[in-house]
Amino acid sequence: MRPVYLHGSAVSSTWRDASRSLTDLIFDCVSSALRQAGVTAADLGAVVLAAHDLVDGRGLTSMVTAPAAATYLKDETRLGDDGALAFVLGDARVRSGSVGTCLVAAWGRASEGPVDEIAHALFDPFTARPLALTEIAVSGLRAARCLGDYPGYGRWRDEAAARRGPRPADPARTPAAAWPLRGGELPVWADLVAAAVLSSSPGQVRVAGVGMSTEPYDLGDRDLTGLPALRAASAQALTAAGVDAAEVDVLELDGLTLFDEALAAEAVGAAARGEGMTILASGDRVNPDGGYAAGYCAPAMGLVRIARAASRLRDGQGRDGRVALATGSSVVAAQVQAAVVLERTHATQDADGRQTTQDTQDAEGA
Amino acid sequence: MDEPAGGSVPPLTIDGHWAFDYQYFAGAAASRFFAGLAARRIMGSRCPQCARVLVPARAFCDACFVETTDWVQVSPHGTLETFTILTTSFPGLPEPPLVVGYVALEGASTAVLNFVDGIDLTDPDAAGARLLQRPRVTARFRDSCQGRITDFVFTLDEPA
Repeated sequence: MRPVYLHGSAVSSTWRDASRSLTDLIFDCVSSALRQAGVTAADLGAVVLAAHDLVDGRGLTSMVTAPAAATYLKDETRLGDDGALAFVLGDARVRSGSVGTCLVAAWGRASEGPVDEIAHALFDPFTARPLALTEIAVSGLRAARCLGDYPGYGRWRDEAAARRGPRPADPARTPAAAWPLRGGELPVWADLVAAAVLSSSPGQVRVAGVGMSTEPYDLGDRDLTGLPALRAASAQALTAAGVDAAEVDVLELDGLTLFDEALAAEAVGAAARGEGMTILASGDRVNPDGGYAAGYCAPAMGLVRIARAASRLRDGQGRDGRVALATGSSVVAAQVQAAVVLERTHATQDADGRQTTQDTQDAEGA
Repeated sequence: MDEPAGGSVPPLTIDGHWAFDYQYFAGAAASRFFAGLAARRIMGSRCPQCARVLVPARAFCDACFVETTDWVQVSPHGTLETFTILTTSFPGLPEPPLVVGYVALEGASTAVLNFVDGIDLTDPDAAGARLLQRPRVTARFRDSCQGRITDFVFTLDEPA
């Protein structure tokens, strides 16, 4: 098996920028990731994409959007799943030696479609859709269970939400609440693109371990607050990396709401059961960019979190630490989870002093 | 005459709409479950390996990956495990606010989702605080059942 390094990554977060099409946004972000990695489209051996037809409002969306992700005459794989899972597949392509360099890209443009209706359409037409279930509703179900079971969730929720900073005033960017969730605990919808370049050539950030796991579809058969798939995925990734959860310095955890992030912190071993909200309230170790409140749209979020983790390792010059854990969760209701452990190496930037990670944030963005 | 890329024309935006009609096939197990609801019974299927009773009944246990065998009628009585109060309106569905919750019925190993009716939602926080206590509930069937998940709702055994 060959080692895998993350050489360049980019995140684009905007909102209703009518001057740019979805393919424009993808092209710009992918170009940025390639540029920061110091490679061109011609250098890519493979491309792995994550996108959703329903979110994009385009049937077989990748047929339309893939060319903007440098797929022309390329070995291309399309996933209808979270970007973190695309990253894991890209890692496998490079690690196996089948390709030397692989681009991973994921996107979701919330401003083009009715997010609540899309989230409703995802659910089973026999047992869930007639009961008005949505992704936010599932987060509400999780949150209620937390409040009932763990006193710390009620005690620390306001302080944790306050750490996420100001929210945009546009009501179109916040979903309708599902009690017990409140305004500051809900996601801020955004138009997001994330891209990453993986290669076997040594670089500043090594992909030390990955993991994936899947829960039952039926929510009544799940441990809604235990997130067993995330526990399994993160355990796989940590074991592969040869590190313990206590050794992880940087945490970038995908969660649709504040409560989902808190539960994710518990599932990856960063907090004891019932203490996830306390961790979020007490510091910036998890998602210091604001997480769910800094812009959210499936299925880009896992790759966004991985890019943020790489940025904290690399651009932070080690201030945040040496080892990062990033996670991504799929629809429906985080059924599939992926976890990635990244490790800062001692490699230096290239002779031109290129930054290998860049965030592009529109002035109107989250 | 060549022009530079880009330009300063107003950005074009067009409307789009998806409206397709589907026919979903429930399959044998789910059809039997829904037929049970039409007869005012809530049915589960038992996994021969882990012995769990899965509700709604399904053809296979995804944990053990084996076909379910026995069919079991479970009790209409149970405990509200968790819930949320919805405020989003969808065409063809009851107007919000709505309470939906997962209920662990006696005799079932999994929880089942449905509306929880009869809750005074004038003060959502007060209603929520009451429901966080995991009250006992009972499935109440509608006067006219059609073999759908909406044939029944849950109501509190001790009204708030």
